[in-house]
Amino acid sequence: MKTVLALCMRNLKEFVRNRTRLIFSIIFPFFFIYVFSAIFRNDYIENPISHMLAGIAIATVFDFSLRISSTTIDDMASGFMKEVLVSPVSRLSVAGGQFLSSAVIGTMQGLLIIIIGFFIGFRITTPLTIIYMILAMIFVGFVFAGFGLFLATNTKSTQTFQVISVAITMPMTFLSGAYIPLEHLPPTLTYISYINPLTYAVALFRTISLERLATPQSQLIAEELAFEIGGFVVTPWISALFLLGFGALFLLLSTISFARTDFSKVSRGAGEQIDW
Amino acid sequence: MNPIIEVKNFTKRYGKFTAVDNISFDVAEGSIFAFLGPNGAGKSTTINTLCTIFEKTEGILRIDGKDVSTQKSEVRRAIGVVFQDSTLDKKMTVEENLKMHCVFYSVPKSEVNERISFVLELVELSEWRKKRVSALSGGMKRRVEIARGLIHYPKVLFLDEPTTGLDPQTRAHIWEYIVKLQKEKNITMFLTTHYMDEAEICNQVAIMDGGKIVANDTPFALKKQYTKDRAYITTERPEELERLLHTYNLDYIKKPKYYRVDACNIPTLLQVLGEQKDVITDLELKKGTLNDVFLEITGKEIREGTKS
Repeated sequence: MKTVLALCMRNLKEFVRNRTRLIFSIIFPFFFIYVFSAIFRNDYIENPISHMLAGIAIATVFDFSLRISSTTIDDMASGFMKEVLVSPVSRLSVAGGQFLSSAVIGTMQGLLIIIIGFFIGFRITTPLTIIYMILAMIFVGFVFAGFGLFLATNTKSTQTFQVISVAITMPMTFLSGAYIPLEHLPPTLTYISYINPLTYAVALFRTISLERLATPQSQLIAEELAFEIGGFVVTPWISALFLLGFGALFLLLSTISFARTDFSKVSRGAGEQIDW
Repeated sequence: MNPIIEVKNFTKRYGKFTAVDNISFDVAEGSIFAFLGPNGAGKSTTINTLCTIFEKTEGILRIDGKDVSTQKSEVRRAIGVVFQDSTLDKKMTVEENLKMHCVFYSVPKSEVNERISFVLELVELSEWRKKRVSALSGGMKRRVEIARGLIHYPKVLFLDEPTTGLDPQTRAHIWEYIVKLQKEKNITMFLTTHYMDEAEICNQVAIMDGGKIVANDTPFALKKQYTKDRAYITTERPEELERLLHTYNLDYIKKPKYYRVDACNIPTLLQVLGEQKDVITDLELKKGTLNDVFLEITGKEIREGTKS
């Protein structure tokens, strides 16, 4: 446990020390809020600002937790991971530290957006909601940290990882309803969005932040907080269950592949040879 | 003395390629053991297997009586490793790197600060404690790594080419630390190096070639067995020298400007030199070096600066 915390602290420190990235990750939410508030402005939805903010916040949690968790690949390439792996520390706690820091940084970023949101019209009726929101963000952070580490450990070089992560995160974000309402998508893409775990994270988080847990199903479906797929209604709770399953699967898979990865073969350069 | 490292019939294969072929050796506790060999000889594979990074194919490898395959945690606790490529966390400070290491090796919290001061003093980097690793020079980074490798008081310190890529002065310093540690703390040093002159100070040298250990002894014994001391003589009267060498039965090779004479029998050589003392214009006596041993055994020169 000490190792998990120490590694988590190390990742947080690293995040804060990388000035350029830090500045951009603070500016980034403003930019997104500005651009997407224009898209959502003339919407049919009751509270467009809150609706949009919740989407941006959770997409940010997704994006950051995935990327931070994959910093592992940089550590492998820089050699630091080798030092970790010859130490008596279990690989499990190394993975744990990575997950924890990802979830924490993701949640902090999401929270930053929510805080900005309060200045531009985001409203909640009870302070409890903010606690539920934070819990939901931590949950979503862990889910996608597992996914990120899975991608990172299955990619052998930093360059490949860059390409793969963009190729996966871009469509996931845009087919989740976080930025663009699903009804604006062509029907084929709508089906793809139904197998996108982020879609369910967005629905769950919106339901919580818009305080709609008690809203009737038909209303939830109209607001894309629940989905009717082939007669089966995915309520926000089922979304949560689905996420839990997806998260557990990838936390498990990534931990296994992390424990098995032969880090001596990971390199920054593309064509570097293994040496005996 | 009991061997701290025992390797018996160790083999490592990558698919069909055999990187290490049935090698056995022991390392005595508190000694400096050097592993020499040309590139691709299997040195790194052996060191990486001993450090529990690679899995062996066959054989028994033990450190401090613990098996490297089945008692990984115990072995990891007993060793410190300084890799060929830097494994420092460059974005963190020297102190943070050392502290993190203490967490990994469960060094008691009350001792952490004291130990950090101690190891940094040892490698003369105390004033760099709060600096980021990325601000350090190559030699300093290596010293930090040595400090880090020691902070959990290991029984064996593995050093994979600790001095490669460093300037002669820094290299000399690093060796000072290594010898000091061995003498004062009785830490066993297991190292690989490209620099033959550096291997001279080791207690034991094993030469690897093509996945096998081809020689394993003290530097002195190796030199005695594989090299000859030679005298290089330039004289004004070559015919007379040749005649004398024949009379005293000394082996020699005639070169355009000098004679290379085997100097295994010093008294005889001195007699020859005495008879020629007025006409000799140049004399050089060369002792056999580990490099000669290496050339003699492997038939190839060690290539510097490349990975092995």
